[in-house]
Amino acid sequence: MIRPGDLVRPLSPAGVWLGALVLLVLLLLPYWGGSYVMTVATTVFYLALVGQSWNLMLGFAGLLSIGHALFVGIGAYTSAYLFTAIGLPPVIGVLPAIALAVLMGLLMGYLGFRFAIGGVYFALLTIAFAELVRIVIDHVSWLGATEGFFLQVSEADRHGIDLVNLRGAPEMYYYLIMALALGALVLCRYLLRSRLGYYWQAIRDDESAAEALGVDVLRYKMYAVAISSGMAGVAGVFYAFYQNSLFPEIVFNIERSIEATLGSIVGGVGTLFGPIFGTFILTPLGEIVTEAIDLLKHWHVIDPETKLDGLKLLVWSFIVVLIVLFKPNGLWPWVCEKLRLIRPGEER
Amino acid sequence: MNTRRASAVNRRTLLAGVGASAVAAAVPLRRGLAASTLKVGVLLPRSGPQAQLGIECQIGADLALPILKTEGYPDLEFMLGDTETKVDVARAQCEKLIDAGAHAIIGCFDSGQTMAAAQVCEQKNVPLVVNIAAVPKLTELGYKWVFRNFPTGPMIVGDAFKNQKRLFGATGATPKTVALLHVNDTFGSSLAGALFALTPKFKMPYKIVEKIPYDPYGRDFSAEVRKVKAAKPDALWTVSRLNDAIAITKELVRQRVELMGILSTGPGWYDNAYLKATGKFGDDVVNLIPWYDENKPMTQKLKAAFAKAHPDLLMTTNQSFSFDAVLIAADAFKRAESTKNTALQTALRQTDITNNVTLGKGIRFNEKGQVPYVPCGAVQNRGGKHVVLLPQEAATGKPIWPMRPWRER
Repeated sequence: MIRPGDLVRPLSPAGVWLGALVLLVLLLLPYWGGSYVMTVATTVFYLALVGQSWNLMLGFAGLLSIGHALFVGIGAYTSAYLFTAIGLPPVIGVLPAIALAVLMGLLMGYLGFRFAIGGVYFALLTIAFAELVRIVIDHVSWLGATEGFFLQVSEADRHGIDLVNLRGAPEMYYYLIMALALGALVLCRYLLRSRLGYYWQAIRDDESAAEALGVDVLRYKMYAVAISSGMAGVAGVFYAFYQNSLFPEIVFNIERSIEATLGSIVGGVGTLFGPIFGTFILTPLGEIVTEAIDLLKHWHVIDPETKLDGLKLLVWSFIVVLIVLFKPNGLWPWVCEKLRLIRPGEER
Repeated sequence: MNTRRASAVNRRTLLAGVGASAVAAAVPLRRGLAASTLKVGVLLPRSGPQAQLGIECQIGADLALPILKTEGYPDLEFMLGDTETKVDVARAQCEKLIDAGAHAIIGCFDSGQTMAAAQVCEQKNVPLVVNIAAVPKLTELGYKWVFRNFPTGPMIVGDAFKNQKRLFGATGATPKTVALLHVNDTFGSSLAGALFALTPKFKMPYKIVEKIPYDPYGRDFSAEVRKVKAAKPDALWTVSRLNDAIAITKELVRQRVELMGILSTGPGWYDNAYLKATGKFGDDVVNLIPWYDENKPMTQKLKAAFAKAHPDLLMTTNQSFSFDAVLIAADAFKRAESTKNTALQTALRQTDITNNVTLGKGIRFNEKGQVPYVPCGAVQNRGGKHVVLLPQEAATGKPIWPMRPWRER
């Protein structure tokens, strides 16, 4: 079991103070940040949750997925459909959503591992599954097909807190996704310190050696895929009830899958806090670039009439390339080392 | 010692963070303006895959400001937002525009992005005037702040059939067989699927003999065109995008596939880039699409301004519907005499504009915020320009149908 002390124990005193401060700032964000900052922060936590689930597969077990949008999409469509068709509230609908996402993950994993499809080829398999499901949903009229699937939102639904039906004010969504992302962090820490986690790391580092030592590689890989897809399914439920509209081309788009990976890559693949840290760097970075351009125009450093649309993406991409080039293990391990946030020997 | 060092850095980090946050939070405030100006957030895809289309929409919106001023409409100030062709960015940018003081939002070209913006506008009680988005649900979910002057998907499909019948009736040349060639992405396959399924319902005089999907990223369409040739259809109906439309045309010419005509529903075949790339071989294609009415006085003003600002380009759907969206906002502001959201909402509900740009009798919203019928036109490419064939009241020329053989051009 996880005790509260387990979560703090890896942190150095500086880490505890900084963590507490960041947590306090984030908890108070709706009061100081305004709705725009809160929307960006909600997106950050959502991506952190999906990134954490992706990191569990690649970072912990060495399984590269570039089709994680598949599990998010399955979770989203399942819960949204059950809510619309039979009125099943998402707090219960999340269970079949997880079940279906896990089932799809297991099917994909079994096909891949049973026939020894690994590395890049496994990544291609994940893309193929995501595309396959997208095409299927494109033709399923009761899921809205290409026209999209929509959740009805009344005026009353936009205020207050209704966690059972996931209806309420934007603050509710913010705190919910924050709790889910931090919950995923706790779960991953627990898993990483468990026997399962050690088996995964053994498989990741040397699959043949792990197998020779008696690790049931197929089984533990399947566990990784199942847990990862289940976590992504939960993120999908949140996505459906936050966005209230689902389009197959958007939900299952490979771009969504890549987005899920970027935070982890920048933060540090295989680290615990890397996906959250990386997403917190990447998403606001884009916004800061936009604001900087606006300010430069405002101060007439740049002609205000100059069209600089897309420059943000260019600058953002350049910075990401720099991070990947100069800190290939991610920023989080480097930050931890520089600021001594984690006690020696603890997972980052 | 290590702890102290970390703590020192923490304080600096904190100060820098607080400073950066303060700057970021203060930025929107600089945009504050007097209430005599309506601040309109123009939310479009300005980067990402739909960037070019968003820029085309912006041209229409930009041209609206001086024209509407001469027409006696009050001042509008644009606040620009970029969706980056992403749904979640559309949502965040819409929040940002409203936080920064936008009284109304115009956008977002794409259905998914518009749905995301609609969520925010409903939450914040800020009017959203849709320029381009065809998904029917947008105005069927009971939204109170969403107003759309653009045909829904079923309107576009229905008019495509009706205009074909009118075209065949007017020229006396009716194809008996048609091949349907479509891009195999969500847009293409859904539209082509609807066209294929509804052909019998509309009692069309022809039979679709071949339905040929193709890869959206394809560059070589020789196999697809060969299939068309083998099916020997009288006419070809396409659902494409730009680059594929150009490549298909060149391939049709290369393989000497002679047809009674080419019909297109969707983008590509009327675009400026298409006309430039295909030259005389792009002529005679009939586009069944939302369009503008050249006979309306406002359209003539817009066309003149457009020709002056962009002499190398032809005005299309994107500019005209974006212009109308600005017109709708300005008209509501003029009557509301206030930037207050409820006053604007009431004024928008009472909109009754006849001197607009797009096809149809004018702009009046129903209780759902939708203009009940936004007609689509039949527009033929001719000599590198557009000729409106249908509807009759907006026609600027007679059809060339059957189209001229490739070798006689």
